[in-house]
Amino acid sequence: MRDVLAAFILLNAVVLIVTYLTYVERKFAARMQSRIGPYRVGRPHGWLQPIADAIKLVIKEDIIPALADRPVYNLAPIVFLIPSLLIFATIPFAPGLGLADLNIGLLFFLAVSSLEIVGLFMGGWGSNNKYALLSAMRGVNQIISYEVPFVLTALIPVLLAGSLQLSAIVEAQRGLWFVAYPVLGQLAFIAFVIATIASENRVPFDILEAESELVAGFRVEYSGMKFALIQLAEYTHMFGVSCLGALLFLGGWLGPGSAHPVVGAAWFLLKALFIFLLVTWVRWSFVRIRVDQILGLSWKVLLPATLILLMATGFWVALRSGHVA
Amino acid sequence: MTLEAAGFWGLAPVLLASSLAVVLSKNLFHSVLYLALALVATAGVFLLLQAEFLAAVQVLLYAGGVITIVVFAIVVTERLVGERLAQTNRGVINGGLISLAVLIWIVVFIAGAQLPRTAPPPPGDLTQAIGRDLLTRFVLPFELLAVLFLAGLLGALFFARKEE
Repeated sequence: MRDVLAAFILLNAVVLIVTYLTYVERKFAARMQSRIGPYRVGRPHGWLQPIADAIKLVIKEDIIPALADRPVYNLAPIVFLIPSLLIFATIPFAPGLGLADLNIGLLFFLAVSSLEIVGLFMGGWGSNNKYALLSAMRGVNQIISYEVPFVLTALIPVLLAGSLQLSAIVEAQRGLWFVAYPVLGQLAFIAFVIATIASENRVPFDILEAESELVAGFRVEYSGMKFALIQLAEYTHMFGVSCLGALLFLGGWLGPGSAHPVVGAAWFLLKALFIFLLVTWVRWSFVRIRVDQILGLSWKVLLPATLILLMATGFWVALRSGHVA
Repeated sequence: MTLEAAGFWGLAPVLLASSLAVVLSKNLFHSVLYLALALVATAGVFLLLQAEFLAAVQVLLYAGGVITIVVFAIVVTERLVGERLAQTNRGVINGGLISLAVLIWIVVFIAGAQLPRTAPPPPGDLTQAIGRDLLTRFVLPFELLAVLFLAGLLGALFFARKEE
């Protein structure tokens, strides 16, 4: 019973945070472009805007295209959303503050978030719209290309910490955050951020959304609450991966006064927000690159680079523990 | 009824129904989606057996990866070029007979086997044990598999290469 309650609270907290992340992103982007951003709804600074957006989306008409594959089309937003929410089950927010600190936490995260592609493809195919299908094709292409370097970079902290358990990975950073390890840490972090941006389909890797050519990509036929679910899933996943980055490289909840769970959780969220803003910063600064450039970057640069980094980490860990004579 | 039994009886019908739907569904795309469901349900069964590592790998590799590739195959062959393909079920009777034979064989095998009454306790950190065994006791088969995959990759590259 206590677990159910905890899951309920966590779910609502995550959805609330993610709702306000859209607001943060809009404000941040507006500042970058010398605008003000949302301002009218709620004072000060339009803080009610995300709520207003949600209400607007709920009361909008739900349209199902006549030629759509109805069950697939209707299920897609749900299949897309569930993995994004499930990944939070294993994230430790502070020592002892989390749903399930699995001993295969990182693997669980990677496995569950790899299911997202099924929902994305269901949406693209079920809509029976050529823009949606093209977008879903591009999405599958890109996500399988970037999943490999993403997993490899995520393995570097695992090697350094010697555990797949996310809380153990954080505890291993008590002396020095993994991002601060000379050369290795910074390169791994950069690779992680690039792979994150690509697996989130953010600019400059947003060919599957590509407003100027594909309208809005795989979600072009969705309206109302289903559109809201897809948006929610996307931002939730983004937030989840930001949390993962904070855990793997930025020392999770570690920081001054982190012995107290509330302070620890605050540090953790601050670090996750930092990664989220880093990705947002890139998004609003760059232009979209071509499909072949995206795939070339993944297979020809990122994959060999992460493999070499992983091997170097392995050597380093072996040297540190004195197994190499 | 224990939680494990409840989980099993919850998962088993889903697994059976989705597996049947994979072969019986007329729409190829729907079969792939049922395959994804069947693979995730299998991962659930692994979870019930306390093989968390196996369950996670099952989802990561199969449900995520294989589905993607199957979907690719369908899309390339079906809607983008040429006619729409529907799945045909000409071999229903033969397939059914073979499945029945395999089922009987497995049931006879299990009935004849000596099984412990209670499950043995899992030996500590399973993930660590699997990793250690893969790189010590089973290092030769493991490396052979890697060579096999490399050969497959090279073969694929050879076939995908443009004719000169």
